[in-house]
Amino acid sequence: MKTKLLKIKELPIILILIVISIIISVANPAFMTLENFLDILKSNLVLAIMSMGMLMVMLTGGIDVSVSSVITAVAVITGYSLMHWSSNLLFTILVAVLSGTVMGLFNGLLIAKLKIPPIVATLGTMSVILGLVLYITNGTWMTGIPEKFIDFGRKKLITFPTGDGKALGIPIQFLFLLVAVLATWFILRKTVIGRGIYAIGGNRDSAERMGFKPDRIIIFVYAFEGFLIGLAAVAHTSIMRQVDPNAFLGFEMQVIAAVVLGGASVLGGYGSILGTLIGVSLFCVINNGLILMHIPTFWQKIVVGLIIIGSISIDMTQKKRTERNKTRVDVE
Amino acid sequence: MKPELKRRLKSKEAVLFLIFVVIFVFMSILSPTRFLSLYNLQSMAYQLPEFGILALSMMIVIITGGINLSVTYTATLAMIIGGFAMSHMFAGGSSAGLSVLVGIILMLAGSLACGAFNGYVIAYIGVTPMLATLGAMTFFEGISLQVTRGGAISGFPIEFIKIGNTAVLGIPVPMIIFLFVLATVYLFLERSRMGATLYMIGSNPKVTRYSGINVRKNLFITYLIASLLAGIAGILMASRYNSAKESYGSSYLLQAVSAAVLGGTSIAGGEGKVIGTVIAVLIIQVISSGLNIIGLNRYLTNVVMGLILIVVLTINFLTREKQFRNN
Repeated sequence: MKTKLLKIKELPIILILIVISIIISVANPAFMTLENFLDILKSNLVLAIMSMGMLMVMLTGGIDVSVSSVITAVAVITGYSLMHWSSNLLFTILVAVLSGTVMGLFNGLLIAKLKIPPIVATLGTMSVILGLVLYITNGTWMTGIPEKFIDFGRKKLITFPTGDGKALGIPIQFLFLLVAVLATWFILRKTVIGRGIYAIGGNRDSAERMGFKPDRIIIFVYAFEGFLIGLAAVAHTSIMRQVDPNAFLGFEMQVIAAVVLGGASVLGGYGSILGTLIGVSLFCVINNGLILMHIPTFWQKIVVGLIIIGSISIDMTQKKRTERNKTRVDVE
Repeated sequence: MKPELKRRLKSKEAVLFLIFVVIFVFMSILSPTRFLSLYNLQSMAYQLPEFGILALSMMIVIITGGINLSVTYTATLAMIIGGFAMSHMFAGGSSAGLSVLVGIILMLAGSLACGAFNGYVIAYIGVTPMLATLGAMTFFEGISLQVTRGGAISGFPIEFIKIGNTAVLGIPVPMIIFLFVLATVYLFLERSRMGATLYMIGSNPKVTRYSGINVRKNLFITYLIASLLAGIAGILMASRYNSAKESYGSSYLLQAVSAAVLGGTSIAGGEGKVIGTVIAVLIIQVISSGLNIIGLNRYLTNVVMGLILIVVLTINFLTREKQFRNN
């Protein structure tokens, strides 16, 4: 039992998360409160949902830098649909998920069929999509989301009574995250596609020889990522109650950083849902903690940058050590 | 001789140059009085060098199989460190010449320090370049903000501002610096032993190591050189804008990657020519200036840039397919 616990590969990052949490709560007791945790959850739901899609993309050895422009585009389409077509919830989700999937599909086709390297292809779609969105909206906020949808966004799943009469609760948008995590888990663990995703990330040629169809899997992965971005856009719009076309500038770096912190390899084939969720939590806790510790915003970037480099470096040195140990065993 | 000529005319670079000519002619026809005006040609000649140098910096790194997402923040951190010292010295009564000298030396030293940081993390610790430079990007931005407090540093001596804004014999000084950098990078990458090593590392680092080459040292030096180029671009930007700020040139990051890739550099490493990158830089500059003159919405300019990137890569793919089938 004890050795099994030590063998969890997410252990180092869990420990880092615990240590950082302790440091923050010593500095400011407000960190370890239910209210703060619910706050962190609410403000990072979108990041967590999108990290699931990015994880899947990175497992195939790809990367997607267009995520921030895709979610901006989907949010704008969703907002327009809410204001001009219908405020029906299911219809809204359908519109969002469909438009996200179409954009993801486009990325997938460029990468799988035209063999354009993922980073370059998504760079191209990023500049096309964001350019179009900013041209159409002129960069201005869309306000006037129907009350009905706003009311939905205010709902709580479970409420906890507090002493001073305020009711704290898990936001309804948590359901979107739950769906995203469960769907990703199901695909990765229970389907042939999931096996294929790990296989082509590990070694594309051998995966092909084993009978997997890399092209189809890659198209699926990017389309699924678009689908999740659709969910994230609905969650985001219902939390913010307006659409800001500039809200996601540079967000792709946060998503990638969170997934990588969670132990996924950019070379593909390696990474887990649990690790990614912990990576996202670590990212959020650090950001939240820096605010609670009243550290000036200018310092926050320095700390975040150093933590990204630091934790990956620790991870690398450990991997090297285990590899060296392995070779020694082979020789003996 | 003849087949050699034929091969050259069919090369990627020749096709790219043709695209450049077509776009240039197209822009000239669309707006002959303004696009071909001396004013516009000169302003392009002032803008192109900083972007061109950043693209070359990116290209060197991509050839080794890496990428440098922190390239623009290296440039701005360098200009902020040097600019901070320069404006304080100048305000404190030092002579303009001395302040400029110290400022420029600190800018180059600052960029080298950024390069050493990236190089150490990538070459010696072994972190994937994309992640190391992603972290470095945030880190450098944070330090820059710490120094500037979100504002811009100004108050440079006029001698410094002249670097980016004067012309010698009608040729802008930044252009002269760019040509010098271009020649150096060409000689380094395509005519020197170490340059050849970088291509080897890019196509197969393991085999390169087994053939007795110190991959780590070479990679480390690569990031030093690439960052030094970023520092030079930083000097040009600070001088042209007459100030230093952390967000200057941030749009050049993706454009630099685009330029390298458009120019035929393989993102997987091991392949790429200096001349290709330079033609791609020319194409991007002509398009952005041209569309600006025509009065196209600047957001739509981004759309056009993205489309061109996708279209050129699609053409690349189709020609490769065709060659493959013919063989």
